[in-house]
Amino acid sequence: MSAFIKPQTPAAWAILGLAVVIVLLGLPLAYMGAELMFLGGSWYYVIIGIAVTAAGVLMAMGRTMGAMLYLAAVGVTWLWAFWEVGFDGWGLLPRVFGPSILAIAVLLCLPALRRMENAHSTSVREVA
Amino acid sequence: MSAKSPMLRTLLLGATIIAGTAGSVALAQVPPADQPPGNGNATVSPGTPTPPSDAFSAPSPNAPQSPGVNAANIPDGPPADPSEATPMVDQVTANPAHDDWPGYARDDRATRFSPLDQITPSNIGHLKRAFIYHTGSKPGPGQTNKWAAETTPIKVGDGLYMCSALNDMMRIDPATGKEIWHFHANEKYESIPYTAACKAVVYYTSSTVPEGEHCHHRILEATLDERLIEVDSEDGKVCEGFGWHGMVNLMKGMGESVPGFVAETAPPPIVNGAIITNQEILDGQRRWAPSGVIRGYDAETGRFLWAWDVNRPHEHGEPKEGEHYSRGTPNSWAAMIGDNALGLVYVPTGNSAADYYSAMRSPEENRVSSAVVAIDVKTGEPRWVFQTVHKDVWDYDIGSQPTLMDFTKPDGSTVPALIMPTKRGQTFVLDRRTGDPVLPVEERPAPSPGMVPGDTRSPTQPWSVGMPRLGFAPLKEADMWGMSPIDQLYCRLKYRRAHYVGEFTPPSIDKPWLEYPGYNGGSDWGSVAYDEKTGILIANWNNTPMYDQLVSRKKADKLGLMPVDDPNFKPGGGGAEGAGAMAETPYGIVVSPFWDEYTGMMCNRPPYGMITAIDMHTQKVLWQHPLGSARANGPFGLPTHLPLTIGTPNNGGPVITAGGLIFVAATTDNMIHAFDIHTGKEVWNDVLPGGGQATPMTYEYKGKQYVAIMAGGHHFMMTPVTDDLVVYALDNVN
Repeated sequence: MSAFIKPQTPAAWAILGLAVVIVLLGLPLAYMGAELMFLGGSWYYVIIGIAVTAAGVLMAMGRTMGAMLYLAAVGVTWLWAFWEVGFDGWGLLPRVFGPSILAIAVLLCLPALRRMENAHSTSVREVA
Repeated sequence: MSAKSPMLRTLLLGATIIAGTAGSVALAQVPPADQPPGNGNATVSPGTPTPPSDAFSAPSPNAPQSPGVNAANIPDGPPADPSEATPMVDQVTANPAHDDWPGYARDDRATRFSPLDQITPSNIGHLKRAFIYHTGSKPGPGQTNKWAAETTPIKVGDGLYMCSALNDMMRIDPATGKEIWHFHANEKYESIPYTAACKAVVYYTSSTVPEGEHCHHRILEATLDERLIEVDSEDGKVCEGFGWHGMVNLMKGMGESVPGFVAETAPPPIVNGAIITNQEILDGQRRWAPSGVIRGYDAETGRFLWAWDVNRPHEHGEPKEGEHYSRGTPNSWAAMIGDNALGLVYVPTGNSAADYYSAMRSPEENRVSSAVVAIDVKTGEPRWVFQTVHKDVWDYDIGSQPTLMDFTKPDGSTVPALIMPTKRGQTFVLDRRTGDPVLPVEERPAPSPGMVPGDTRSPTQPWSVGMPRLGFAPLKEADMWGMSPIDQLYCRLKYRRAHYVGEFTPPSIDKPWLEYPGYNGGSDWGSVAYDEKTGILIANWNNTPMYDQLVSRKKADKLGLMPVDDPNFKPGGGGAEGAGAMAETPYGIVVSPFWDEYTGMMCNRPPYGMITAIDMHTQKVLWQHPLGSARANGPFGLPTHLPLTIGTPNNGGPVITAGGLIFVAATTDNMIHAFDIHTGKEVWNDVLPGGGQATPMTYEYKGKQYVAIMAGGHHFMMTPVTDDLVVYALDNVN
């Protein structure tokens, strides 16, 4: 069987769409973040890029852990942003605004994701 | 690793859009330009200039001037020897009438201060449009937009006088905007250099033509196609006694050139009877571009008086038949200011031709580039020089007009002083008699010897440590910005991929270098305003880094860079402020804003424009804040309509009134703003029909105070171009 969810409900479609968006954000973060690290710049981006990509992939597989990982990454991002620019509004904007909006979307998807995962594990158990 | 593959680019762009839709807060968008090619550019060993291939052969710098370059076919006559000007009577700018704004910067001291006080912070809510006047000059069908009128009208008595972007002159009724006369300069589109601009006309009162006769009062301008023109202030007809039917050909003695290579955009000052001319030479074209010579002409007759030609330092006459003024010398394009008492004109100079490569410059050029040069208006001999950048390879040519003031020293003595704002944001205060600093200037170590073989940088650069800096600390990676983490990361990468060791990072060939402050300033041609009574100086300035790279000649050829006078030159193949061939040197230059070229947003965090009030008695900042809102700018060139004061790039100066107000437009939000000078609070603004990239002015007429701003826009600032002069007055005053 495929590791990814096959959406049949609007909620599942939303989760898959969100997961794709998160992967699309994570990949360039990881890729460019690696170059930045090699050029002597911040390590934050490559680490967070890998985490976010993994989070997206896990979400696409219907795993709650993906959502939790994304939320954790955003939490780390807030801490890192405060560390890097303090409480400066313009400075915080690119660092936390977009990711936090997405985090809200992820939070909204969380119940559906939980249900899906429970149903999935139930069905797996039944098959077993 | 690099972001070069098209797939990744698409991915990046897509991701930025996705992330950006969430957080699309505004940004000053900057104009497109070629991007530096990045790593691996040094394919040709630098050092010796390679002879250009056939496709890129510009005419010899010693070739004779083609006939069409003398735009009005003005007969020149034999080369003239130096002579002295006809004695001058007092001019209206010496002691401006209370109601008038008789010169570009109002007075002989370039204060941009008006004693008018009808409009105040408390009644400014009643400031409404009185009329709009159309100059008639804007891009025609099929013409590339090169417009930025930058015009400040002048007002003397019953007349409001101004020029259009293409040098028509007109007199307007100050109360109604009705056109009284219109002089047609018949300028060709080809004569536009980088920008079609005419900052102001000059009002001149004759010493030889009696009052009441034609051309007693005259309006003078210097044109894009290199003419001086004088017309009568009453009827707008040329003054036959001036030059050849009212015109002087400034291309005389300039040698080989093409229309648009050499141009005048600033009002020429008249000092003790001498009109002083400087000229803009298109940047980045070729090492042996036309001369930056400074010349004097008789204000009465248009007769040649003298020349100051950097590489012919002691010859003040016109070049002999078949010769020309020394080529490639530093050009000056800023508005100059005269000093009748000391008999001097203060010339803010730029750079030798080929701005970003200095190995071929003469010691004489190196002494006077990016400097203030005080020239004796009787002889053309420089009396002193103060240099603001040594061996400039950053295009830190001075764009600002100097402002004159009396500086009171701690011991109570007064020094005739000059304030010189610069693109670096260093503001120098000098003794006008000697050029010595009045406030301390330190020579501080600068990155040296640099990265270009055979072209060493100066080990030190001057810093005006006694004046507040109009700028911020050097950029850090954490200062990179964007709408989302992705475009911010892209900018962090750009930052790390470039050479950067702070201000004066030397030009590099192997990868781009970050130029910060950028060539738009700090302070640019808007200059500063100064209130002598309170000692308050107002400066608006930019915070816009550049991303530049030298390219080998081979690469430059590949990019199609060639000088404007190359027969194969196609408009768009290389611009004055973007990529340039720098022909006859080993390198070309690629210049771009330090921005995310996908979103069109600057890479550094806001603000991109600021306004600062400085108390000149204490040299302390009274207040300082971002200038310009995000309403008309945003990612992908889309307006955000957000009334957030983010601080946008700005071009155009401030005006101070005795009513306690500052008027400034300049910003890319297409607004004119008024600030309370004491608090810095914005008390009024209005959305203009076009970009307000000009310095406003104010005048009173029949008991009513007016504020005028040319909303001509600016092609490089990407603000809407119009031919509208917008004039305001209080709606509760009759």
